[in-house]
Amino acid sequence: MSDKDSPDVSRRKFLGFAGAATATAVAGCGGNGGTDTDTDQPGGNGDTDEPTDTPTGDDTPTERPEPETRDGYLQRANRVAHEQAPWVFLNRQYSVYGKSEDIEWQARADEFIDAYAISPATDSGDDVVINQSQMDSGLDPQDHRATPTDNIVMQAYEKLLDRDREGAILTSLAEDYSRQEDGVVRFHIRDGISFHSGDDLTPEDVAYSVNRIVDPDTGIASPQQDQLAGVTGAEVVDGERAVDVMSDGLNPIVFSLFASYGPIVNKSWIQTNENAYINQNIDGTGPFVLETYEQGVEVVFNRNDNYWKEAADISSLTVTSASESSTRVNSLLSGEADIIVNVPPQEVSRIEENDGSSIAATPSTRVIFNAMRYDVEPFDSPEFRQAVNYAIDLESIVQNVLSTFGDQTAQPTLDGFFGFNGDLDPYPYDPEQAEALVEESGYAGVEVELHTPVGRYLNDVEIAQAVAGYLDDLENVTASVNQRDFQALAGEVTDGDIETSPHWYLLGWGNATFDASQTLIPLLKSDGVLTSWSNDEFDRVIEEAQSMPSEQ
Amino acid sequence: MSYGRFLLKRGLQGIVVVWGVVSIVFVLRFITPGNAVDAVAPLDASPELRERIAAELGLDQPLYVQYLDYLWELLQGDMGYSYISGIEASSMVFSKLPATIELAVASSIIAIGLSIPLGVISATRRHEPADYAATTFSLVGISTPNFWLGIMLILLLSVQFGIFPTSGRAFGFVEAFRIAANQGVGAGADAFYQWLRFITLPAVTLGTYFTALITRLTRSGMLEELGQSYVRATRAKGLPESLIRYKHALRNTLIPVITVLGLQLGTLIGGAVITESVFSWPGLGTTLINAINTRDWPILQATLVVIGTGFVIVNLVVDAVYAYLDPQVVAE
Repeated sequence: MSDKDSPDVSRRKFLGFAGAATATAVAGCGGNGGTDTDTDQPGGNGDTDEPTDTPTGDDTPTERPEPETRDGYLQRANRVAHEQAPWVFLNRQYSVYGKSEDIEWQARADEFIDAYAISPATDSGDDVVINQSQMDSGLDPQDHRATPTDNIVMQAYEKLLDRDREGAILTSLAEDYSRQEDGVVRFHIRDGISFHSGDDLTPEDVAYSVNRIVDPDTGIASPQQDQLAGVTGAEVVDGERAVDVMSDGLNPIVFSLFASYGPIVNKSWIQTNENAYINQNIDGTGPFVLETYEQGVEVVFNRNDNYWKEAADISSLTVTSASESSTRVNSLLSGEADIIVNVPPQEVSRIEENDGSSIAATPSTRVIFNAMRYDVEPFDSPEFRQAVNYAIDLESIVQNVLSTFGDQTAQPTLDGFFGFNGDLDPYPYDPEQAEALVEESGYAGVEVELHTPVGRYLNDVEIAQAVAGYLDDLENVTASVNQRDFQALAGEVTDGDIETSPHWYLLGWGNATFDASQTLIPLLKSDGVLTSWSNDEFDRVIEEAQSMPSEQ
Repeated sequence: MSYGRFLLKRGLQGIVVVWGVVSIVFVLRFITPGNAVDAVAPLDASPELRERIAAELGLDQPLYVQYLDYLWELLQGDMGYSYISGIEASSMVFSKLPATIELAVASSIIAIGLSIPLGVISATRRHEPADYAATTFSLVGISTPNFWLGIMLILLLSVQFGIFPTSGRAFGFVEAFRIAANQGVGAGADAFYQWLRFITLPAVTLGTYFTALITRLTRSGMLEELGQSYVRATRAKGLPESLIRYKHALRNTLIPVITVLGLQLGTLIGGAVITESVFSWPGLGTTLINAINTRDWPILQATLVVIGTGFVIVNLVVDAVYAYLDPQVVAE
């Protein structure tokens, strides 16, 4: 529902009268999902559904009170995006796992399979086998950016901070952290931790690890540099067991970044070994020690009995892979694997009906959307973009295409993230409204084509076909789907030139920082790396948000 | 032409073919959508990071420089390093080769062991139930897609009855030998048993099409030979029927069969992609699929070059054997 452009004013007005209290309560949920700080104060700072003036006034975003907090600004940005509809808002993707009854384990929001959290439920649950869709791309924890690799290397490496299952920040190798001044934060490093090789963890190791990621002159050109966005370097604090991390500017989400990214390595081990060796061996501080590594085939870990926390419940962990989902399902059903990843909806019943296995599904940090380029016809019209949102029956897509393994979205930010706006509801299915908006946009009779990757996201092609189908059902629009190779599509979208992007494309975006900015900035801000949109008000509120610290 | 000259000529032709494969594979990279940097760099990587990655991978050089570098390094046995993991491409590919060769050989043994007797029985008992059974089997075998057969075998024999593992490979044949040598006969027997459990289903899956093909070929070849006048002559001479069939007719039948066997063995080395994928068999096929999906060009190139070279070598050997069996070939 657009406050500004849509004729659906009655509902807005109703919310304006009745909804202030409810709306803020819902908004309150927005910040709860596990960021380092929860600045959302009930009734005050959020971007609520209550405009400044009376509900009879001209209901435009600009007349809302200026937010006072970073959370408020991010919520405002989400509202602007919802109203201007630069995307067709689709679903939050679920991670769907198959799990054997031999173990107890719950899936995490950030898609990482934390073997430390697995405990045996039966005797045969002591040696756990994970079967994922791909193996690692080498064991250097700082030279990759893929979940399958994380699921292997991060069983043995650790970060300064960590997250719980829902995404809330926990301490890890750093026992304490604080902001020193704008652009400088300090991590106090825990004492008594050693690497698997026996070397003690020192602040030098921590500073080196950060620099190896952010500074191309230290070791490698790490593809994780952008994960620690804004961080310029780290140095050991004299006389303290601490490290100062410097950022370019305020870097409001710096702790959030270090809770999701930045594995810590052993400086001397890295410096004395070749890259190829580092990619086939592990010297971490984590709960599992590498036993054998067969590239592309199998990785075996044993429990680290000298772990600085309590040792893991399971004694060994094997990670293997099968690119075919049916092969993974069969390995679970026959008892060879204990956890399998990416179970497609059509295989769910086989797992549920089998004794000894079950489905573990959890909302992931990935949002699936259709970007509509603001600079080309017909998507330059907000009315047309809203029309596409009204045209699709999102509820039915989630029910039928995704077998309920998805949540409907109304904004780029996911529920539980810092900056999520709890007041926004998904666009309702209203084809008549959609047709009216198409007429209003002046693009009646237009033909559009949706580019979609094939097999990159859960039922991506089917989602795209449903979206194009609904739009094509409108009297005044013709829509079709163009199935693309993901790498080719991604190449066009990410080359930094909006002109080369398709006019309308399906994409998924994972954001493990649990902070709205890491979705809004790259995808929607005018200067975002893969933006499809430009809106002055949106840019302004984002910049305001990024000039404030997240924590207070 | 002497036999030696014949081999030399074939060998030189083989080298040209390998060079062609290498060049085409190299060019493929530049006409395939999606470049390597996109595969390596995160979606939101900045242009600077992309440039740095391109420079690190050597992709910032002009095309001909990249090609000549590649050829020169290939001649020295250097196939480059994986874009994704930084591991040497040659060591990665050659470490997968044994698994693929094992599977190809195992499925060939199944195929030869089954198909030639089946074909002979079928030909000698023409229009009898045994013939109908064999021809039906070969028709079904040829018509059944590999991936479907593999999945069905897994469902039935692994998931339902738990006889075989669903996927993977415990260790190689050579490792099983090593275990036998180091840990004694008992452990060795156990190792071979494990090896057999893992390889049986993929080998049967891969071998079925091949079995069916050779059965048909043997049957028709045998029928043709048995109708020849020399067979009638030997019969008239009073030679026992078994001698006529197996010493004379079958031997002549085997010449085209060997050709097809050789071609198929080459295909098996490269063509087991689907079967390997269904069974997560860690061979060249799986490596190839992974490399394609991640646009890991050095690995992709190395895999294709090894497959292409393997194909050429197998064909060379077949030609040599063929020429040896049938001297007319050399004369041509």
